[in-house]
Amino acid sequence: MSDWDIAIKRGVEHNVPRVFKVLREHPYLEDLARKVREGKLEVLSNLDHYIEMTMKSVEMIGGKAYFVENAEQAREIVGKIVGSGKRVVMGKSMVAYETGIRKYLQSIGNEVWETDLGELLIQFADEPPSHIIAPAVHMTRERIRELIKEKLGIDPGDKHEDIVRVAREFLRQKFLTADIGITGANAVAADAGSIVLVENEGNIRMSSVVPPVHISITGVEKILPNLEYAMYEVLVQAAYAGLYPPTYINVTSGPSSTGDVEQKRVSPAHGPKEFHLILVDNGRRKANEDPVLREALLCIRCGRCHFHCPVYRALDGKWGDPPYSGPMGAMWSGVVYNDYKPALLCSHAGNCREVCPMKINIPKVLEYLKSKYFMMKAGTREG
Amino acid sequence: MIDEDQINFIRRNLLKYLMEDYLPFPVNKSVCYEWANGLNLKKGGETIIYTGCSYQLAELGKRFDEILPTLSKFKGVERFSSILKVFYKPRDTRSYKILRNIASVLKSSVDFGYLYENEPYSGTILLEMGMIEEFREYAKKLIELFNSHGVKRIITVDPHTHYTLFRIKEMFSSSWNVEIVNYFEVIKNIKIKSEGTFVFHDSCLYSRFLGMRDSIREVIKSAGIVLKEDEMITGKETSMCCGGPLAPINKDASDKIARNRAEALKTVHNKVLLVCPFCYANLSPYVEAYDFAEVISGE
Ligand code: SF4
Repeated sequence: MSDWDIAIKRGVEHNVPRVFKVLREHPYLEDLARKVREGKLEVLSNLDHYIEMTMKSVEMIGGKAYFVENAEQAREIVGKIVGSGKRVVMGKSMVAYETGIRKYLQSIGNEVWETDLGELLIQFADEPPSHIIAPAVHMTRERIRELIKEKLGIDPGDKHEDIVRVAREFLRQKFLTADIGITGANAVAADAGSIVLVENEGNIRMSSVVPPVHISITGVEKILPNLEYAMYEVLVQAAYAGLYPPTYINVTSGPSSTGDVEQKRVSPAHGPKEFHLILVDNGRRKANEDPVLREALLCIRCGRCHFHCPVYRALDGKWGDPPYSGPMGAMWSGVVYNDYKPALLCSHAGNCREVCPMKINIPKVLEYLKSKYFMMKAGTREG
Repeated sequence: MIDEDQINFIRRNLLKYLMEDYLPFPVNKSVCYEWANGLNLKKGGETIIYTGCSYQLAELGKRFDEILPTLSKFKGVERFSSILKVFYKPRDTRSYKILRNIASVLKSSVDFGYLYENEPYSGTILLEMGMIEEFREYAKKLIELFNSHGVKRIITVDPHTHYTLFRIKEMFSSSWNVEIVNYFEVIKNIKIKSEGTFVFHDSCLYSRFLGMRDSIREVIKSAGIVLKEDEMITGKETSMCCGGPLAPINKDASDKIARNRAEALKTVHNKVLLVCPFCYANLSPYVEAYDFAEVISGE
């Protein structure tokens, strides 16, 4: 068996029964998932309105909001906020990867660290992530041990716990001295301007609170009508990802503030003095206009479809354009990169549709992308 | 991972063969209907058994998939197709036996005919590849053909043909009013030839696209077959594909899926029961596999 086969077998054996168990023990989660789907559909059917409302809400609470059409604009804005010569910590964000933020910030003279353990390993190895929430799922712990030895000059040993300890010690220093923290957002509440982030490591909490400036970058499809729905979203995401209850749920509504001196609300307090929200389009609004592709925008990135997909498994996790992988990645390669080729590899086993919390008919979306591929070919009269 | 030359080659030729001969690749048509020789099935009629040529072409299709990467690199290779259409008659006797067994079991519960040389291939490969516009075109031709033979009720014998007809009905609901049933819904009083315990490999289409997972298990068990289950391997959300549909696009990935699936099944039981000719073609190199229709008989 190859490294990948060993690693993914362990991953599936840990994850799949655990999600089943979580859903059995907390039957309300299926209801919440249904509500999240409703809330997302509500936003998607009126997307521009909700983008505007979100931006206004963010400004109301003292934050800055930006809407960007593509990756280049996203890099430009982040570059302006960050400048150069800074230390930046990043809490795992796929949209940051999609828009090339880390490499860009490094190229203009910043020190940038991924703080999610899996993502840090990806940074060390300079490899694309192989799973959307477990980016280093392709690495066995034997490989990870070697990698850490090589990059940090410390042998962490063979135990999972010791590997994690070495990474924690390394990153703690970075958190405490960082100038800027960049995170994504699992959900954005249009009515409140709050972002909600769910995690287990604590790295997102640190990245979003310790540095004086917090930038959140996310896709416009992450908007939910209000904070109630946004809270449901993170619970559902965590459950279907298999770690429930999640260790941390972070709600951020603008920069830190206090009213403790004569009840006058002033900012900042202990947390960041600046909060920036960057809402990225990059193909999403166009996809939203297509009734079949709109379904793809409902994805909450739980990563469950991956573990049930025979193709993802057989292709060593290299299915889809990074950071998007697996069944959702085959859809999202079409949404953000106009790349329909990954869809051609779907064997319509249909397991993904069975397990998706958003009830996305993934095989149908992929069949549609396949047909778009063939129509394009026929149109260009190639061959 | 994707060889666009290969896909172009398929795209250019597939619809052409289908529209000319109702077959996905150049092979003598007799390959599809010879199984029925000597069974005295009546020709045509309102109710027919329809094989879609799935069983007959599954093994052959696999061989085509193997040579596709090379084939698609040679210019002018398409010229040979007319020769193949006349002389290429690869008989798959195992699949003939299966079809004959299905037909004889069916005979005791329903009256049906067969289209023989007029029986078309189902077009399932177009659906699998996602050539939906091309499928639509071929589907119209199929509807015309069935209508011209006065067909009112179709009994399918494999998941791909069944699903394909289901999709055609969905696409042309107003103009094609034919009843489609699967042989699992019709057969009665069947029993296993000799005692048998198996692990069952679900067809993705029957199980997850056609909602037949439970009803098929009922029929299998009613025949006296014992099925071993494992929630992680044979559950509705966990039982995986045999890799078949991917073969024309990426043979290596298809084989890897088949090997993974076979390995998983083996941990439940050494004998695998299945209900699809493509699953058989893909899994049988790696595991002891049996089609349901070869282990049962009518009473
Ligand atoms: S497509 Fe569904 S199962 Fe897959 S990551 Fe998105 S929400 Fe989760």
